[in-house]
Amino acid sequence: MSVTPYRTRLAGVLALALLLFVGSPASVQADSVEGDPDAIGHSANGNYLDLMPIDKVELPRLLLTRHADGLSFDVYGTTKAALESGRYVIMDGEGNVLSEAETQYAINEKKHYNFPLAAASGPGIVIDFSITRHLLAVFLAALLLMIIGLRLGARYRRGIGREEAPRGTWQNMMEVLIIFVRDEIAKPAIGGKYARYMPFLLTAFFFILIGNLLGLIPWGVTATSNLMVTGTLAGFTFVITQVSGTKDYWRHIFNPPGVPAFVKPFLVPAEFIGLFTKPLALAFRLFGNMVSGHLVIVSVIGLIFIFSAQFGAAWGAGSVLVSVPVTLFVWMLKFAISFIQAYVFTILSALFIGMALEEHEHEHHEDEPEPHEALLDQAEEYVPGDGVSTTERPTPQPTV
Amino acid sequence: MTTLLLLQQVDPPTPSLLAPDAGLVFWVAVVFGLALFILWKYAWGPITEALDERETRIEDSMQAAEKALEEARKIQADNERARREAEQEGQRILREAREEAERLRNEEIQETRERIATLRDQAQEDIAREKQSALDDLRAEVADLAIEAAERILGEALDQSRHRKLVENMIEELPKN
Repeated sequence: MSVTPYRTRLAGVLALALLLFVGSPASVQADSVEGDPDAIGHSANGNYLDLMPIDKVELPRLLLTRHADGLSFDVYGTTKAALESGRYVIMDGEGNVLSEAETQYAINEKKHYNFPLAAASGPGIVIDFSITRHLLAVFLAALLLMIIGLRLGARYRRGIGREEAPRGTWQNMMEVLIIFVRDEIAKPAIGGKYARYMPFLLTAFFFILIGNLLGLIPWGVTATSNLMVTGTLAGFTFVITQVSGTKDYWRHIFNPPGVPAFVKPFLVPAEFIGLFTKPLALAFRLFGNMVSGHLVIVSVIGLIFIFSAQFGAAWGAGSVLVSVPVTLFVWMLKFAISFIQAYVFTILSALFIGMALEEHEHEHHEDEPEPHEALLDQAEEYVPGDGVSTTERPTPQPTV
Repeated sequence: MTTLLLLQQVDPPTPSLLAPDAGLVFWVAVVFGLALFILWKYAWGPITEALDERETRIEDSMQAAEKALEEARKIQADNERARREAEQEGQRILREAREEAERLRNEEIQETRERIATLRDQAQEDIAREKQSALDDLRAEVADLAIEAAERILGEALDQSRHRKLVENMIEELPKN
């Protein structure tokens, strides 16, 4: 394993990352009148931090690669450094390696980090551990969560809130959320054994909430608008659910009682697939909700540039009157959705865990729904038009 | 030159929002797992425990307060009853004392009356006896006087005892009183 020198620039990048969320109001990027709002690029993950109009900052690349000379873990401060080392190349969309001149052009235009990276020789990159912008947002959300959690925990350990009443707005506010998770989510969904799952539910709730809210700040990046992030969180729910599963839970999947034998070949695979669709729905629901708001905001802002390009600067200026209020409205909607989606993810996780814990009486009353099913319906009502929800709505609502 | 430049111009592919990324999954799993573990130990654990403890204590103290109130009410009722009983007792004692006094007074009066009656009876008896003895004395005196007188008249002719007998018979014949 060879580790290439760690660039000093990395320290600068990390310092900048901390500064990332302390900013002035978002400024519209008006680099050119033609404009390229690129809503997708804005929402997608990347190996850079967008601090425009100051600069775009490259992020470090950590690559576990099988080169021609064997497996190595390479660390570069920037994508550019990786390219200049000669061990890596960039490719276009079709997988063709870019020529020397094209690469140079990309570097000059500061586009190189948007190209897929590949090993110059050998079987190629095994796992790309690069610190991407979404990962930085994850780090920041986790860091904030740790600071908030540990400070709050220290207060309770000191006795404030234990022996005496909680003090101050902050502690009271946090307590409201914690008690909400306990009394409105964990207790009704899981039941008696709720206490064991409280730390996971609380961590998930606050992590998602902070992740969602960070995206609303100027220059902020929404960690939860990445399917890999939401998928990993849902993966935790999945693992916890399966580990908690009672004998009854598994029997209901692989040998459902009270079902005619000829139905079982159809039902068992469906139940088995259901194991995975539940966390997948969790992941896609959160991802979809968070990324869509982002796309809408960038698109609406982008309308200004499209109008400018199509009909002239006057039209563009005029469309500001519409675009900015709409953006503000969507922003506020996103603010509400940040809380709602944190709640929905948490309560659905709790419900899945609760279902896995359930000991059935083997007397199914078809007409009366079980309590968790009612709760499930209630939880899914909170989801405005997400594409993953199994319930169809007569009138499609705007996806946010 | 321009053709070369055109050739070199390449645009990055549109990034995919759904692209898999094992490295990111790894990082998120590590970060979230670590956060979960640390917060479990130092934040959520102590916090939920503290909240439960506080709630239990509040519930306990409320129950204790309720019990204390109940007790206070009971004590108050007891006191009230004791007071009423004491009052009744006092009244009873007073009434009894009054009755006793009345009884004693009546007895006294009765006794006095009886004594007065006795005294009166005794006095009457005494008077009667005195009167009788006075009468008897008088009678004897009268007889003696009469005999003396008769003797003076007759001059000692008559036997003393015969005369006496004679006079006494005469006095007997006299009406009483």
